[in-house]
Amino acid sequence: MYAADVGPQYEGERIRKNEFQVEFGGPDVSHKGELVTVKGLGEVEHEKITVSGPDLKDLPEGFSGPLFIKVEVAGEELEKDLEAVLERRIHQYINYIEGVFHMAQRYDIWIRIHKNSFKKGLNSLEQIGRILIDLFTAELPVIEKMSVEFITDPAKVQNLLVEALKVYKERDERIKGLREEDVDEFYGCVLCQSFAPTHVCVITPERVSLCGAINWLDGRAATKVDPEGAQFAIPKGNLIDLVNISYDNVNQVVTERSMGETTRFSLHSALSYPHTACGCFEAIVFYIPEVDGFGIVSRDFAGPSVTGDPFSTLAGSASGGKQNEGYLGIGIQYLTSPKFLIADGGFNRVAWMSSALKEAAVENLPPELAGKIATEKDVQNVDELTEFMQNAGRL
Amino acid sequence: MKQVAIAGKGGVGKTTFAALLLRYLQKNRPDILLLAVDADPNANLNEALGLKVDKTISTILEGTKDPKAVPSGMTKEMYMEYKLLDAVVEAEKIDLLVMGNPQKSGCYCYPNDLLRKNLEKLRSNYDYVIIDNEAGLEHLSRRIVSQVDLLIVVSDSTVRGVRSAARVYEIVQAVSLDVKAVYLVVSKTTDTEVAKLQEEIAKTGLELLGSIPLDPLVAEYDLQGRPVVDLPDDAVAVVAFSKIADKLKL
Ligand SMILES: Nc1ncnc2c1ncn2[C@@H]1O[C@H](COP(=O)(O)OP(=O)(O)OP(=O)(O)O)[C@@H](O)[C@H]1O
Ligand code: SF4
Ligand SMILES: [Mg+2]
Repeated sequence: MYAADVGPQYEGERIRKNEFQVEFGGPDVSHKGELVTVKGLGEVEHEKITVSGPDLKDLPEGFSGPLFIKVEVAGEELEKDLEAVLERRIHQYINYIEGVFHMAQRYDIWIRIHKNSFKKGLNSLEQIGRILIDLFTAELPVIEKMSVEFITDPAKVQNLLVEALKVYKERDERIKGLREEDVDEFYGCVLCQSFAPTHVCVITPERVSLCGAINWLDGRAATKVDPEGAQFAIPKGNLIDLVNISYDNVNQVVTERSMGETTRFSLHSALSYPHTACGCFEAIVFYIPEVDGFGIVSRDFAGPSVTGDPFSTLAGSASGGKQNEGYLGIGIQYLTSPKFLIADGGFNRVAWMSSALKEAAVENLPPELAGKIATEKDVQNVDELTEFMQNAGRL
Repeated sequence: MKQVAIAGKGGVGKTTFAALLLRYLQKNRPDILLLAVDADPNANLNEALGLKVDKTISTILEGTKDPKAVPSGMTKEMYMEYKLLDAVVEAEKIDLLVMGNPQKSGCYCYPNDLLRKNLEKLRSNYDYVIIDNEAGLEHLSRRIVSQVDLLIVVSDSTVRGVRSAARVYEIVQAVSLDVKAVYLVVSKTTDTEVAKLQEEIAKTGLELLGSIPLDPLVAEYDLQGRPVVDLPDDAVAVVAFSKIADKLKL
């Protein structure tokens, strides 16, 4: 029915340099992109497919150049927030086409069309548009109307890209501001159970994984790609502890996934039911009783921390998938979370940080506190730290 | 898809052997597509193949943990997929991927897991994947590379070399690697040596697949910085390799 076969079996197909008829975007082409816009039902002409600029059949074999894919959709129940999710589907569906690969997204797309598919008759972008519309509307019935425009004219691509960059930025701002209260689902990861059999990571919009590799969006993507994998969705349930921030269903899932080892997680406390760690954390928060405050040290900090213990010793206390009050493994980005240790007082409770971490946290540090948190440059031991805290009026 | 991994102690001739294998497949099986993977941090398979490399997997793994490296809005899944394809050096019928330096300290469980999945996807595009390993078999033992059909342990023609080949074999067994068949190849041999090593070889429990003699032309190419794959058909090492290829029914 189409010039090329279509189906999920063609995902992962790689088309090599000397095999492509035409290549769009990619690392060596500076202007490329794609954008999905949700519009009003009256604004989208359903099934309209346009090619602006030279089409596949007009381009010489081995051609590599710019492309912009502009998709407009409309539907009674379609929300603006879905645009990014729909854009991701362009990637998925174009990869369904035999002899076509599509990489990445937004301003970074990379598409190759195999010579064989071209010879078989896939010689117009219009055909790809047709396939996209058919797949989108079949798989996502909320889409009532959809139009696709392929732009290969270099100047036009450049202009569209400028506009699109603004849209991507707006979206990022929205995501950045995303809070735990705004979502229904958190994500879990048990990849490290291979060496810490009872450890579960809980990842929220305000809590990056302690290895620093998985944020909430990554978790969402991973569970979509492979629902049976090491990452899974956790419907958060009800907030049962407002102070320490604990959700009933999170606790339920943690209990199951930790084989009963841990039954309760405070998502933002190092002192009460802290999140466990496998040993993969980028940094460790540790309680210093003498100053009733925390120290934070990162993996690459050489030598002893303020208490005399080096990272490796502290790591021993924080890891193994067991709760140990006063020790918390974190990803460095957690330092910029609005909920950073909020249950324990946030940065008001932090007495010492390695200077590199203080640097990383700077945008989230209350200005009046910035000079009142010591680093290895200010103090060498707990006695000096106590004095520092007294001088700063914090003790 | 068949995966062949080449292992052995430093300097025994692994990379040369890998290049001879790739050269053989390239010349004798023009219909097939090859992926060469350089899993040695001290990467030089590219030189043996006459290819230039500017991107390594190691940089990608680090990128997945650097919020500034991943373009905003892009998930790490996508980043890994994209960057991995970008890192593949594409030559005529041979593609090359270079692992690069081992990671700095820190946890790479998730990036490595992403890499594993994406390598699996990638390798299904090829008929043969040839992996030039480093002595410690890092990537094999961390299961970044799995389902190996053929593991060739290379030794030079010394007793010490054969003993260290035995140790590589022990590692393979100890960590119960996912390997279907293991063979020994003795490299840089002179006329009488292999016979003298027989006893030592028997002790390893490894089956001897064949040997690659010390070839002055290989040494000369090395000195001149010329790729091994450009060796002529009548080069001693190339002729010796054909015998091995026959035995393996490549
Ligand atoms: N059959 C041979 N005849 C002559 N010289 C050889 C032969 N095989 C390898 N060499 C030379 O021995 C040296 C080491 O070979 P090669 O790089 O293949 O070993 P390797 O095991 O990959 O080393 P490394 O552990 O450093 O990666 C090189 O200088 C190479 O040219
Ligand atoms: S540390 Fe990272 S990889 Fe390990 S379980 Fe947590 S999120 Fe998963
Ligand atoms: Mg080598």
